[in-house]
Amino acid sequence: MISCRDFITELGNLLEDDVASEIREQLEAHLAHCNTCQVLYDSTRKTLRIVTESGSFEYPEPIAEPLVTKVMDRIRK
Amino acid sequence: MGFLPELDDALSVESLTTLKRNFGLAPRIYRAQTRRPDLVDAQVRVLDQLLFKKGALSRVQKEFILLAVSAENQNSYFPALHGQTLQFLGVKPEQSQQVAIDHRNANLPAPDVVLLDFARKLASNPHSFTDLDVAALRGSDFNDEQILEAVLMVGLTQLLNCIQMGLGTEPDFKPRIILPEKEVNPPDDSERQIPEPELSGEFVSDDPDFAIVARVRNGETDAFEELVRKHGRRVYRSLIGIVGSPQEAEDALQDVFFKAFQHLPHFEGRSRFSTWVVRIAINTGLQRIRSRKEFDSLDEEREEFRPRNIQAWTETPEDFYSHEELRRIVEKEVMKLPAKYRVALMLRDLEELSTEEAAVALGLSIPGLKARVLRGRLLLRESMVQYFQKPVRVNHD
Repeated sequence: MISCRDFITELGNLLEDDVASEIREQLEAHLAHCNTCQVLYDSTRKTLRIVTESGSFEYPEPIAEPLVTKVMDRIRK
Repeated sequence: MGFLPELDDALSVESLTTLKRNFGLAPRIYRAQTRRPDLVDAQVRVLDQLLFKKGALSRVQKEFILLAVSAENQNSYFPALHGQTLQFLGVKPEQSQQVAIDHRNANLPAPDVVLLDFARKLASNPHSFTDLDVAALRGSDFNDEQILEAVLMVGLTQLLNCIQMGLGTEPDFKPRIILPEKEVNPPDDSERQIPEPELSGEFVSDDPDFAIVARVRNGETDAFEELVRKHGRRVYRSLIGIVGSPQEAEDALQDVFFKAFQHLPHFEGRSRFSTWVVRIAINTGLQRIRSRKEFDSLDEEREEFRPRNIQAWTETPEDFYSHEELRRIVEKEVMKLPAKYRVALMLRDLEELSTEEAAVALGLSIPGLKARVLRGRLLLRESMVQYFQKPVRVNHD
């Protein structure tokens, strides 16, 4: 049986669906009886989903054109 | 003295006199090879032409390359031998020692730092070496002849280091420093140059920007505006995740496109322009934050991570906030992450680079990159708990 520490070590690979089936079975067996790791896995998975779908750090439209102008002015100098 | 016994008449080999003239002695590394005087002679001629004689680079610059590359290889023999030579050339032993340990903190002129960055990278990480590395030298006003000499000096040093290690030659002088792996050029992956990705084909003929790039390369400068407009969004996004402030991202964006324009003649079209310009953005962003203490040692991942705030989340946390609110929450909390984790997370989860691409970009091993991304995600999760945890039910009965 794997420990919580082992689970956290493998968590990154589990989130990216990059674990061998044998290890996956062990991780799932751990999850079935460990509430802490269950919460950790579930909330990290949701964090990842929120981040990737958030559209964060977009280019603010008002600065886009002035920046193009600045770049081109510098290049033409 | 070494793995192969030195011949009794070693010192009679004629070419050793050139070495005596330059080193004040016939170093053991060459004496150990006198079974083949012709090969000693060949090496001495290369040393004479490339290192001893006046070239495009100064003698001290070439000696520093030899020192830095030997240090990169944890070779203590050559820093001892050439540290002595540098003293004859007026360089203080303390400075030579510092060049070997960490040339970036050796009070060298900025171009020499770039030169030694180039040399160390070529020696230690040749597979990720690209035209951008060469462009970095050109950007510091090194000409092609000097660049050629730098490359040859790295190659010569690698050869000499290999010979010394293979023959087990003991130092002629007591080394001032022994170079264990961790002391050499303290790891700071933020400072590494960002290479273009590994190239699978000869030429990316389906690059949608191919025609515009060709027009710019043919002298139609105005056509570059289209590239800035088209890729500004992605470049900005790459930058803000690294530098951490909108104002600095705007400044850096101008630098990125300026560099891209300058280096366009060297862009070989073996990767897409969009990939190439994002690489420049990552490189530029990392260069800007490299002096910050927050982008610190690599040891932290070894500390065990102990998760806190273990509260269950609502099933669909997104439903409680508008898209705009979610965007602000993510931006606010991502920006609070330590830079080393923020950058790794940004490259993987927002830029959606593959693990391999992100590892190459940051100069990390795959496990090192994965550890940083996971730590970033876990830290972010902890700071997001406040927004998304399940409401605690209060039982009024």
